[in-house]
Amino acid sequence: MGQTLTEKILSRVMGKPVMAGETIYPVPDLMTCHDWYVVNFDKALRDLGVDELYDPTRVLISTDHEPVATNPLSADRQKKVREIVKKYGIKHFYDIGRGGLGHIFPMEKGMVTPGMFVLAYDTHVTNYGAVGALGIPMVFEIPEVLACGSVWISVPETVRVNLTGSLKPGMTIRDVSQKMIVDMGEDLLDYSVVEYGGPSLKDIGFGGRMTLCNNPLEMGAKSALIESDEWTEQYVKSRSDKPFTMEKSDPDAKFKAVYDYDLGLLEPQVAAPPRPDNVVGVSSVAGTPVHHAFIGSCANGSIEDMREAAMVLRGRKIHDGVRLFITPATQEIAVMAGREGLITDFMEAGAVMTAPGCGPCAGGRLAPMAPGENSINTGTRNDPGRLGTREGNVYLASPLTVAASAIAGEIIDPRKYL
Amino acid sequence: MDFVYQGKCWKFGDNLAVDADLTKKEFASSRETRLEVLREFVMCGVDPDFHKKAKPHDIVVAGRRFAQGNPHIQGLLGLKSLDLGFVCETIPRGSYRNAINAGVPFMTKCWGVPDQCETGDDLRVDFAKGTFENLTRGTRVRYEPIPNVLLEKIAIGGWEKTVALRIATMRAQGLMKPTKAVAASA
Repeated sequence: MGQTLTEKILSRVMGKPVMAGETIYPVPDLMTCHDWYVVNFDKALRDLGVDELYDPTRVLISTDHEPVATNPLSADRQKKVREIVKKYGIKHFYDIGRGGLGHIFPMEKGMVTPGMFVLAYDTHVTNYGAVGALGIPMVFEIPEVLACGSVWISVPETVRVNLTGSLKPGMTIRDVSQKMIVDMGEDLLDYSVVEYGGPSLKDIGFGGRMTLCNNPLEMGAKSALIESDEWTEQYVKSRSDKPFTMEKSDPDAKFKAVYDYDLGLLEPQVAAPPRPDNVVGVSSVAGTPVHHAFIGSCANGSIEDMREAAMVLRGRKIHDGVRLFITPATQEIAVMAGREGLITDFMEAGAVMTAPGCGPCAGGRLAPMAPGENSINTGTRNDPGRLGTREGNVYLASPLTVAASAIAGEIIDPRKYL
Repeated sequence: MDFVYQGKCWKFGDNLAVDADLTKKEFASSRETRLEVLREFVMCGVDPDFHKKAKPHDIVVAGRRFAQGNPHIQGLLGLKSLDLGFVCETIPRGSYRNAINAGVPFMTKCWGVPDQCETGDDLRVDFAKGTFENLTRGTRVRYEPIPNVLLEKIAIGGWEKTVALRIATMRAQGLMKPTKAVAASA
């Protein structure tokens, strides 16, 4: 029987054919971890009596959850991170001002390429699926990977999605993506890899591909990845000298389900509180007052997202009583946004730029909400407390809808401003 | 480890959040893992006095998406701190792993289990065999237990003990370097 792309990647890592359902211990090509966990994994390793990593050349640390220390405790944690990186001889360390959001810049820098297998301390490593790599989140067991080189996984099944049709004006991949995960449902997505292909893939760039690979996690998917195509080849070749192969699932591979999904959505979609799957058309929540807004995160912090936000914000002013934070996810995206004049558009509209990284989405340590406030943003999740306080309501939407709502002072259909 | 738990039923609904319902949200950010700290806040988002009422080997019963949210382990370690087991209809994969990591016996895909009991019923659950008995009602249902290879990790006591064993085995086989301290004294 044929293999899925995921089975092929894991078979290559294991050096033998593996199929869905097998429990294996694959050694990742790369392991990533963010700034907030470094001190903790160091303690966990010391508690286990381990003072050398299995392979420090395969480890990447990024300072993205709290890039700008705002108090002496944070500054001290950053100092400790630098010391720990040095102690273990970790090869890839991207401190503040060097990389940005760790689920994105390794692709920009050509470090993550098609067919790679990556484990990470953070759920949204699945973004690497944008270039056809398999990123699997591990969280608590990362010290085991650092010490022993691997951790158990069950080879996941794959849900294949063929994208068809095209986006209508005012709709973005974020609208489609958050609607699609609800349409597929948690029972189907649970512990599955979502694999995207189909005729409309050619129209979707880096930012949209990351969004597609980011959202399914919120519904229990194990990972998501995009079948490599001409876009992938061009993107990766322009950024990496490493040889890579662009595998596809075999025609007779066994999928858990196969979907055709039309991009031709008719209304922008908003995930209302309290969960990312509480997705409704924007008209259902239109008029809700907005106090806090944010554009960025690993779901929507790309240059395409910045361009979409600027389309709405250019020449307009943010409503009194709304604060809008914009976080280009990486140094590269921030530089591009500057060169294209987007940052000027944002600042003139009254938005606040923050350092490349996760922005407020990383638990609201930066720019949180106050109790009783409503936020609309492009972050990944909207659980109570996600932006600092449980006593606030978080709505998730596209950069167009967030920018439009920041101008209107209430949730609004962005087509009014296009 | 004995996988048969007999105790009281504590029934909750769907979508309990691992960070804000099962424990105090701040514990995820502070990476708190001390059981003696976590035990006072078990299920505090839905019942602040839960830790005073629950007894060892009581069983938490929940519907769909139990322990949902970003897969932090603190909520599951809290259940371990009170020596509870749980039975649910579904659990997101990150929390599935963390229940094993925390060493908490559990069963999932137990469709309809919330209809099988009410809070306060006497239950007997065999997590290795997959039997769910409601002694108050005199009913018995069978579910699929989690795989043996994962039950073994729970029996060993969760992630820390399992990894300590793995490290010892790898070192004995020469697959991992000894610590610098050991190497220096050799």
